[in-house]
Amino acid sequence: MNTLQTRDPRKEFGAAVFAAAQKNPAIVALSADSGGSSGLGEFQKTWPDRYFELGIMEQAATGVASGLATTGKIPVFCAIAPFVTSRPYEMVRNDCGYMRQNVKIVGRNGGITYSDLGSTHHSLEDFAIMGMIPGMVVLCPQDPNEIKNAVDAMIAHNGPVYMRIGNEPLPVFTEDKPFVIGRGAVLKEGRDLTIVGTGTLSHPALLAARELAEKGIDAEVIGMPTISPIDEALIAASAEKTGRVLTVEEHYVPGGLGSIVAAVCAQNHPVPVKMLGLPKAYAGSGPYKDIMRYYGLDAGGIAKTAMGFCAGRN
Amino acid sequence: MGKPSIKELGYTAALCRRKVLRMIEAGGAGHMGGAMSCIDIVTALYFYAMNLDPANPKMPERDRFVLSAGHKCMAQYAVLCQKGFFDEKVLDSYGSLNSKIPGHPDMYKLPGVEANTGALGHGLSIGLGMALGLRMDGAKAKTFVVMGDGELAEGSNWEAAAAAAQFKADNLAVFVDCNGLQISGKTRDIMDMNPAPRFAAFGWAVREIDGNSMDEITAALDALPFAEGKPSLIAAHTVKARGVSFAEGIAKYHYWKPSAEELQKAIAESEKKIEEAKP
Repeated sequence: MNTLQTRDPRKEFGAAVFAAAQKNPAIVALSADSGGSSGLGEFQKTWPDRYFELGIMEQAATGVASGLATTGKIPVFCAIAPFVTSRPYEMVRNDCGYMRQNVKIVGRNGGITYSDLGSTHHSLEDFAIMGMIPGMVVLCPQDPNEIKNAVDAMIAHNGPVYMRIGNEPLPVFTEDKPFVIGRGAVLKEGRDLTIVGTGTLSHPALLAARELAEKGIDAEVIGMPTISPIDEALIAASAEKTGRVLTVEEHYVPGGLGSIVAAVCAQNHPVPVKMLGLPKAYAGSGPYKDIMRYYGLDAGGIAKTAMGFCAGRN
Repeated sequence: MGKPSIKELGYTAALCRRKVLRMIEAGGAGHMGGAMSCIDIVTALYFYAMNLDPANPKMPERDRFVLSAGHKCMAQYAVLCQKGFFDEKVLDSYGSLNSKIPGHPDMYKLPGVEANTGALGHGLSIGLGMALGLRMDGAKAKTFVVMGDGELAEGSNWEAAAAAAQFKADNLAVFVDCNGLQISGKTRDIMDMNPAPRFAAFGWAVREIDGNSMDEITAALDALPFAEGKPSLIAAHTVKARGVSFAEGIAKYHYWKPSAEELQKAIAESEKKIEEAKP
């Protein structure tokens, strides 16, 4: 698995939007001084009339996206994740959510991928706040293939979508196939516990399962690239099968994948649930991999938490 | 069909003011002050300026209207009803469970409403997006936004104001209903936003008018766009609660829960004005 090909998430996203826009003239792009860094440079060069540079004004950009959508356009607005989620939140909630507009909001450098820039540039609450908006689909694709296919699904879906992508090169480990919103997938079958991962942590979860196998623990790994609406049936079936569920995510523990999975378990098939993510605190700054390791968000950390969980420790 | 005369527009506005009172009677309370200050502007937009078809409210080439100050929605409801977008019995549901005419407009409940406003500082951005989308399609349609003067303190408006000038959105025209009052008192004492010079500084073409004068409103509408390549701003000076004599220019009538006597007095005045305004 260490020899897997890796690709850049932002380039993958930009190329996918470009390919979709070649087929669909309704697609327009919005930038808040963020287009080039979002992989939308080619889009801007090719279709200047379909590219709206708003400058550093995410509130108006979000409202403009909604207004464009009322005329049948499919606006794709991409910038650094906190600046398209928490900054213009009321515009996302009302102008896109409440108005049910076909706006695609993409938060790049999500989670702590801007690790060294500190907490102003981290988005560790985006699943929670975006997922709380009625009708808002929340996607967090797990590898370059999924980013590409999730862009197609996001465009095909008629309604507001938030997609979070990271920045670190991602290993390719999922099949190149159509993305179905609201569906997770069993990446590895197992009997002793279920590990549910999303985004950047699904591949480390798979690697952790390999480590666990060496210790005699047979982990099932579920990849969950849609946070909202969550795949309840898949979670409930796996919880019933393994009897314990560990969630792993690059997000605050409260309000993220873990909270959602725990609620699904509680209401469908109650089992012990352990949530691994970042604590609700300002994460600090430093090299990305160092911060992730510090919080136990790498293959070794996931395996260690899983072993403790299976042994009845917290 | 020719354009209505000033006299006819005045009569229509008088009928619409009476409808606002009918809604307040049904619901027991409502944002009366701002509805009455902007209703001449909204009447002129729907009856004089905008290309609309009440029988086909989603007609693609229609002009767009966004009431950014969504709490003034009784003005829009009254005018939409007068224009034939919905049956006037709906007016009597104001304030009731699941009414099609809630306290802020909902585009999925009432035909003719284009945006779900209410939180202030949203409508200008949405209207700009509409204008840009229509321009992309090569449509001749215009987008009109009505804002409140108190609302201008929201910073998001100034983001949108800059962007509208940057994009040379001359198919966008904005009325600021400058009634000079907000809940807590005089706008100039609370946060004086002084729209005319400020929008001009942001690159808009600006006019100041008496926003309760049909002569001046229609003259401004006839002159759109005020300058090629610039969005148009009309700072419309109005009187809050215009048409309810004892409430005119008094901040506390922003939201009005009238006594039976007050309401009857307002209705009697309104009906007298309808008689006087008859063409």
